[in-house]
Amino acid sequence: MTEFYGLPNAGEFWHWTNLLHFILVGLAGGMALLTGLLHLKGHREARRYTLWTLVLIALDLFVLWAESPARFRFTHVWLFLTFHPASPIWWGSWGLALSFVSAGLLYLGKGPGRPLALALLAFSLVALAYPGMALAVNLNRPLWNALMAGLFPLTALVLGLGVAALLKSPWALYPLRVLLGASLLLAFLYPLTLPLEARGHLWEESGVLYGLFLALGLGAFWKEGLAPWAALLAAAGLRALLVAVGQWQGLGL
Amino acid sequence: MPRYAMAIDLSLCVGCAACAVACKMENEVPPGVYNLWIREREVGTYPDLWVEFRPEQCLHCENPPCVPVCPTGASYQTEEGLVLVDPRKCIACGACIAACPYDARYLHPAGHVSKCTFCAHRIAQGRLPACVETCPTLCRTFGDLDDPESPVSKALKEAGRMDVLRPELGTRPKLFYLNAPSKKGLTREKEVRHD
Repeated sequence: MTEFYGLPNAGEFWHWTNLLHFILVGLAGGMALLTGLLHLKGHREARRYTLWTLVLIALDLFVLWAESPARFRFTHVWLFLTFHPASPIWWGSWGLALSFVSAGLLYLGKGPGRPLALALLAFSLVALAYPGMALAVNLNRPLWNALMAGLFPLTALVLGLGVAALLKSPWALYPLRVLLGASLLLAFLYPLTLPLEARGHLWEESGVLYGLFLALGLGAFWKEGLAPWAALLAAAGLRALLVAVGQWQGLGL
Repeated sequence: MPRYAMAIDLSLCVGCAACAVACKMENEVPPGVYNLWIREREVGTYPDLWVEFRPEQCLHCENPPCVPVCPTGASYQTEEGLVLVDPRKCIACGACIAACPYDARYLHPAGHVSKCTFCAHRIAQGRLPACVETCPTLCRTFGDLDDPESPVSKALKEAGRMDVLRPELGTRPKLFYLNAPSKKGLTREKEVRHD
């Protein structure tokens, strides 16, 4: 039996608002990447997607600001006044901000189109990659292993393509199913990459939900009409669940 | 430049929590969060049964995982090896809380991350951290690891056994546990000895 005088600060530190951010940043990053590609191809839907990208990034940044306990201290300015390349969140801040700027310029038709589209593509890759990296760098949390660095960009692309499919873009369905298949495969293999204790924790805390999201994802391969919704829910659910349950440290102290 | 460290002789700790109270008072730690806490554990079975007390706090690691993940530089390491948080730069993103393997960090109600500072403000005045000064059994020692005559160096030299928490993570903590009565939960790591 272990008791404490005072308590280690072992509680949950990222709450539902942070989980919402992990979903929104995936949506925003995925849409930004698609927008960059559409602009490069000179696709007629590019402008509509640019607006979606702007809205999703703005929404994500608003959620980040609103949920931050430092929101009225305006300390966020330090993200852009300092240089911390070892921090995934520093990269993510720049990735999102510059994606927003380049998408804004593209939407307004200001500046050179192709370089801006290439810039948007590059910045969106940063925005796609950083959430998984922000988790994977925490070697002390066994559920956030290196697989996060692959699973989070993949699910972000699924989220972007899911929205594209809902926007009735016919080209979105095939890549959506391919990337969702890859995501589900990774998610299926993920428990096998965990130490026994961590696997047990995942099973106890969220085994049913995890299985449900995997099954939901499979629904995308059943009917075309279901595919966008099934993919969106499965990708969003997996992202939120992994962030929530991964905060466990498995303290063998 | 000194390299500050702390050692706690667990064979002397009686779990009175005077250190935890002194820390709360000295650092005005708000209710519900802690810079320092005492882990109390029953070890063994009757009749070979004892209670193990282990004070825990920020370990001021030499290789702190909480510092590089900070996106604004609010978490930093001083030249003396103290790991501190600058509340004026902290955006409370929680990256450092996630990175800390010892759950030593928490979100202060004022909207920034906080933790044990080894009482940096007292050290600057040439005083000992509040927990060290308060301990009635003198189980805590503090000082410069690079000075062989410092209390902490002497305690490390004289200890029969020395442990740090979670050495496998390579954080190189500067809070050492000496003479632990049980081995449970502690990992012996002689190579971190700085003598």
